[in-house]
Amino acid sequence: MTEPPALDELTARVAEAVRHSGPEAPALLALTLLDPAAAAGWLLDRGANGPAAASPAQLTRVVASLAEAGAGSPGLLSRDQILKLLTHYGHLLSEEHARDLATGVGGGEHDPGLDEALRAALERAPAAPGLLRPAAEMAIATGDEARAHDLLTRLARSDPRLATVQFVYAQRRRLAATADPAVRIALLSSFTIDPLVPYLDLECRSLRLEPEVYLAPFNTWEREMLGQGSALKCFEPHVAFLSVAADDLLPGLAGPTSAGQVEAAGVEAVERLLAAAATFASWSSALLVVHGLHTAFRDPLGPVAGRDGPGRGEVMARLNARLAEGLRTLPRAYLLDLPDVLARRRHGTIDNPKMRHLARMRLSEHVLEDVARACVHFIAPLAGRTRKCVVLDLDNTLWGGIVGEDGPHGIRLGDTSPGSEYREFQRYLLSLTQRGILLAVNSKNNEADALEVIRSHEAMALREESFSAMRINWENKPSNMLSLADELSLGLDAFVFVDDSDKERALMRQALPQVLTPEMPRDPALYRETLERLPELQALTVTDEDRSRTRQYVERRRREMLRVSTQSVEEYLGSLGIVAEMARVSDRTLARVHQLFQRTNQFNLTGRRYELGALAVRADEVDWRIYTTQVSDRFGDHGLVATALVHVTPESWVIENLVMSCRVIGYGVENALLARLGADAREARARWLVGEFIATPKNAPARDFYQRNAFVRDPEDGDPERWRRDLARDAPTSPPWIAVKSANGT
Amino acid sequence: MAPESVVARVFGLPRASVSDATSNTTVIAWDSLNHVTLVLELEAAYGVSFSADETLIMTDVGAIKRVLRTHGVVWDGA
Repeated sequence: MTEPPALDELTARVAEAVRHSGPEAPALLALTLLDPAAAAGWLLDRGANGPAAASPAQLTRVVASLAEAGAGSPGLLSRDQILKLLTHYGHLLSEEHARDLATGVGGGEHDPGLDEALRAALERAPAAPGLLRPAAEMAIATGDEARAHDLLTRLARSDPRLATVQFVYAQRRRLAATADPAVRIALLSSFTIDPLVPYLDLECRSLRLEPEVYLAPFNTWEREMLGQGSALKCFEPHVAFLSVAADDLLPGLAGPTSAGQVEAAGVEAVERLLAAAATFASWSSALLVVHGLHTAFRDPLGPVAGRDGPGRGEVMARLNARLAEGLRTLPRAYLLDLPDVLARRRHGTIDNPKMRHLARMRLSEHVLEDVARACVHFIAPLAGRTRKCVVLDLDNTLWGGIVGEDGPHGIRLGDTSPGSEYREFQRYLLSLTQRGILLAVNSKNNEADALEVIRSHEAMALREESFSAMRINWENKPSNMLSLADELSLGLDAFVFVDDSDKERALMRQALPQVLTPEMPRDPALYRETLERLPELQALTVTDEDRSRTRQYVERRRREMLRVSTQSVEEYLGSLGIVAEMARVSDRTLARVHQLFQRTNQFNLTGRRYELGALAVRADEVDWRIYTTQVSDRFGDHGLVATALVHVTPESWVIENLVMSCRVIGYGVENALLARLGADAREARARWLVGEFIATPKNAPARDFYQRNAFVRDPEDGDPERWRRDLARDAPTSPPWIAVKSANGT
Repeated sequence: MAPESVVARVFGLPRASVSDATSNTTVIAWDSLNHVTLVLELEAAYGVSFSADETLIMTDVGAIKRVLRTHGVVWDGA
């Protein structure tokens, strides 16, 4: 028997083997274990390419061993070697290794060499937490705040565990406030809800909002909601979340209490919640979102629960129904269906008994992300962060396969998989049109092939009339998007672009960053869920206009065809048979008026937004008037498309704001409404009709409105501009092609 | 992963600055809420479950290591 070679000799032999055979990964791995410095020297001298014959898994092992050795014994690898390791192989490093190496470089807080290495590694692994963390810390140290925010958001998204999201939140507090619009969020709870704050912060920042959170002291929700002198009142929230746990309201749930007793106590508890909600609504104009009730405890009767009478599950459902019913009677109050959110959580348990005892947490760390997302579904529409139109690719997005290659009968779409995933997605998209979201197509295809599927494939849930506009051609998708924006009279920030192709998405993000282009999962079975989770597609109200919006755009397409066939603009407008019905706002139309003020960007004279509560107050005051205009023509109903808020004084009527949906730009509806305001002001013996104008980045179409209607600008106005028209002689006139009608006794 | 790494990660500290003496009195961010986060992270990292008494005494890295050892946890450099 021969002796095994001594370690030194073995190392020399392996080193020799690596030198000669070069790209033999197993030898390199052996050398890494025997002599890391020599292995690092060999590997890093070869730059980014590494041993050609090494598989990614082998290379990852080599790099991990090197990182381990480098982090374990400082000085083993030179600074230059560490930077090279990060630059070329950083994307292969585990989170811990990447972080340890980056923090071990020792170049101080601002280290241009390390910065460069991290940037290079992040190009290849944009979501690697181990790289994002040191990169974010460096961006903070160097004062590159925009990059810091971006890296922190990516870090929290790629590793949404509580510790990381809390770290991200803590780091952001070292940064100055962003220029994004502020949103003030109050959290009122009967338990420790603090860990939700970092997640809410993350969700708001992803929407380009600057959140400010007020966390009411532990279990003070009832006192705070009374208002008088409460810190909550001083905070003036835009939205308040009331999260009271059933297990706090009904301590009996933990014990042997019968379902009947739970129900009796529960009804009282719901009344308590509703009373607090009603008080809150009486003094605050904030949106109030009440979390539904759920309990951590099973019915102690087990299988027999519900056999002889209602079990606890039934009772909890009834209590939640009662809560929902009560909240419906309050203005601006919503129920967040917490039991549903928890049931649909993406992982983990709802309740963590240890944390319940240790920290009085009643939501486990696993569900915080889901709950925060559910909360932000209320915040996005409140802050006007919603999108109006989903633009869809066709092949492998609305159906499986490529119609140009597989043929209209070869594509995968139907009731069985593969194919049922796409049908389910289409059905969801169809439901979006029921609440006012438009759909459009942007696809590289032969138009005839694609239309054949859309018109005649028996499994299509979406048809031609589901789409407000279509671009099926061989143009690049950003150009098509621009032309869709033009046809639909929508800004680019009204669009969501859905495409299965990484390349098309990257191109759209780069060319038109205003368009929201969400990451799509590879598996089409997850398409539906991906869109369901987008806060930008949520709504707080659904009006009649929303339900018929798609139809209105289709009618518009037909009007366009008439326009092409008639000669002059006046002749065309005359042939439309436009009727404008003017009215004062009513309870029925207030939600739509609020929505118009909130969502209209182009024909918006001042850009002022109003909260629903503020408008409700104005509607009842004698010195304020809110006008509405409903428009129809021979092709169909446009709905309530224009509104004006007017401050009435004996001497003058001042138009605080006047907005009109872009759907009817070019019909002269705004002039008809102005004529009506002038006529009413004259009748009230006011001398002046005054209008304010504030230029915004988007309201160029409204720029000349007052000038065109013979208003004169006040000489010493500033911002806002003030324009006035003397009503002593005459008032603005309505276009001859519009028939004006009055409703509700005005 | 060494306990020092977990502590560094949770509180956003450089790994090299964490020693057995690092405690809830030396780290400002180590408040009662972040202590909960730390406990959750340690449990997830080592697949163990601490008792309430243990979580109360784990207020410095040395104590954390002692508790981990009683659970039979081994890490590099231990």
